[in-house]
Amino acid sequence: MDIHEFIENFAAQFDDTDAALFTAETNFKQLDEWSSLTALSIIAMVDDEYDVIIKGNDILSSDTIQDLFNIVEKQQ
Amino acid sequence: MRIAGMSACVPATVEDNLTLPIYKDENEARKVIASTGIERHHKVDAGTTASDLTVKAVETLLANMGWSAQDVDCFAYVCTSRDYIAPQTACVLQDRLKLRSDCCVFDLPFGCSGWVYGMSIVGSLMSHGTFKRAILVAAETNTQNRNPRDTTVRPLFGDAATATALEFDPEHSRPMNFMYGVDGSGFDAVWAPYGGMRNPVTPEALEEKEVAPGVFRRGIDMIVNGMDVFGFAIKQPPHSLKGLIETFHIDVATVDLLLLHQANKFIDEKIRKAVKIPPEKTPYCLEEYGNVTSASIPLTMVSRCREQLSGSDEKHCLACGFGVGLAWASMEFYAGDVKMVDVIEY
Repeated sequence: MDIHEFIENFAAQFDDTDAALFTAETNFKQLDEWSSLTALSIIAMVDDEYDVIIKGNDILSSDTIQDLFNIVEKQQ
Repeated sequence: MRIAGMSACVPATVEDNLTLPIYKDENEARKVIASTGIERHHKVDAGTTASDLTVKAVETLLANMGWSAQDVDCFAYVCTSRDYIAPQTACVLQDRLKLRSDCCVFDLPFGCSGWVYGMSIVGSLMSHGTFKRAILVAAETNTQNRNPRDTTVRPLFGDAATATALEFDPEHSRPMNFMYGVDGSGFDAVWAPYGGMRNPVTPEALEEKEVAPGVFRRGIDMIVNGMDVFGFAIKQPPHSLKGLIETFHIDVATVDLLLLHQANKFIDEKIRKAVKIPPEKTPYCLEEYGNVTSASIPLTMVSRCREQLSGSDEKHCLACGFGVGLAWASMEFYAGDVKMVDVIEY
């Protein structure tokens, strides 16, 4: 798995947030646009792109995009 | 066994998601509508039960079919919004509907997978040939066991009762095929923690608490853990339908209708695409009725497929119900020449 591609896929789930704001260290739940609906888009994206179903707790326990990447990578 | 008739009853009161008082503005409401596809739902008045809606749905169906309540040999009541902790509601309904005293009646406390499980259970009972006529009800008052100040559930769920009349008719029946699934480790993805024997009702269970911004709940209220349900719903239903297709050698090109539990449009579209069935063969009624749990597949048939299913040429159908349990079930069946009664209001 490539972290840069993961960040791109992650950023694509947002409509109004500047793509430049997304890095491995971004605290994604602090973003203004983050909502429970974005969380569902992320779960769907991870299923589509990585064939992994993440749990609600995986998102709740992650602060940064890197944290979530690590969880997905482990389950692949 | 064949489906001989279908009806549905919904409460007259409609709640529009656009104007729900739980959002800070219309923009927020529009986002929820855009992502779920659910615009409104029907809601019972306080004091009206799923069994009240059921009586109207069943009586209307019997009248339209020319069946008497005395003709019914088996009555299955798929519902978790029971009238009383005891007895089961099907017993109460035997008297209200004037079913025979030797009618085989029982509750099936399933959620969203309930209509498919009910078809399997009643179908198996009827295959013995001793029951000629059965009624399978799928009914729920979801607005009553969820907190109206819980933003995660109020826009999604509605109330409805449906009745499906089943007839033992070997000459005109085609086999039905089923696949089942359950994952009890996800029991708390959709649940009501208090009110059963594990956690009885206490004064604390009745206290309303703000568990997250804008999310108020009591211990007895139904909780839907959206993220876990979503992850389950995009994985297991496609897997189940694909298993059904493979096991029973179903040619997907011959399928006329894909009848999905009306969870939300985003989830259902993912399932539809996974089994490669075109949108014109996948009816939806969630925009108008929301998620009505076990009633959602039959309500979709009654409200959206009336002409197709009442026609004399049989329709090849796949159905998939999935949710609380976590439990899911898929089925293949044929339906035609069905007496379809238009949706009625309570």
